[in-house]
Amino acid sequence: MAKTHVRNNIRTLRFEHGEMTQQSLADRVGVTRQTIVAIEKEKYSPSLEAAFKIAAVFGEPLEAVFSYEPSSR
Amino acid sequence: MNMTFKEKSAWGSLVALALVSYWFFPAAFNAATYATDPAGLVAISIGCIVTLIIIEAIYQSVIAAVDGDASDERDALINLKAERIAGYVLGIALFTLVARIIAVEALEWVETMGALTIAVWILFTLTVSEVAKLISQIAFYRFSA
Repeated sequence: MAKTHVRNNIRTLRFEHGEMTQQSLADRVGVTRQTIVAIEKEKYSPSLEAAFKIAAVFGEPLEAVFSYEPSSR
Repeated sequence: MNMTFKEKSAWGSLVALALVSYWFFPAAFNAATYATDPAGLVAISIGCIVTLIIIEAIYQSVIAAVDGDASDERDALINLKAERIAGYVLGIALFTLVARIIAVEALEWVETMGALTIAVWILFTLTVSEVAKLISQIAFYRFSA
């Protein structure tokens, strides 16, 4: 299963925000729960807009939620 | 299985298309090749299209009623990627068909195809490209994107 180069702390941040459910986060961001699952598993890189919305839900700057890991090659 | 509305929709469309095609194409190729009943071939084609539309309408209504029909940017991206693959498949299939028709007319070394047979082959290439799109969509949902 191919992973993207975009890493994230969404699972940790959900835990720190009162065990926020994936469905709750999805509803607040305006995507489906399956998309949140795919982002958390780093199978899908969200659009810039969705990334900003996710960061805004947690009240964090974008770079606190997402980071870019270049290919090791 | 944890699926979005669009993925369930793709599965339903794939199964419906495969079932109808499995029944339709052998009958259509047979009718076109032997040209026994051209009107019957038209009737079979219309019947299959109507059947497919009815199956799709019922299935889509049921899954939309149960789960809602929400879609988002990931669905749109997966759809675009799958459309691109389907486009390649359609292009290759049509190019192969055109090459065969040219070979028939210009080189005279393969068996002649009638207009009805060519029409059924075109329908077949369209169906194959749609199947490629649906399989690609499901694969992207399951494994990446």
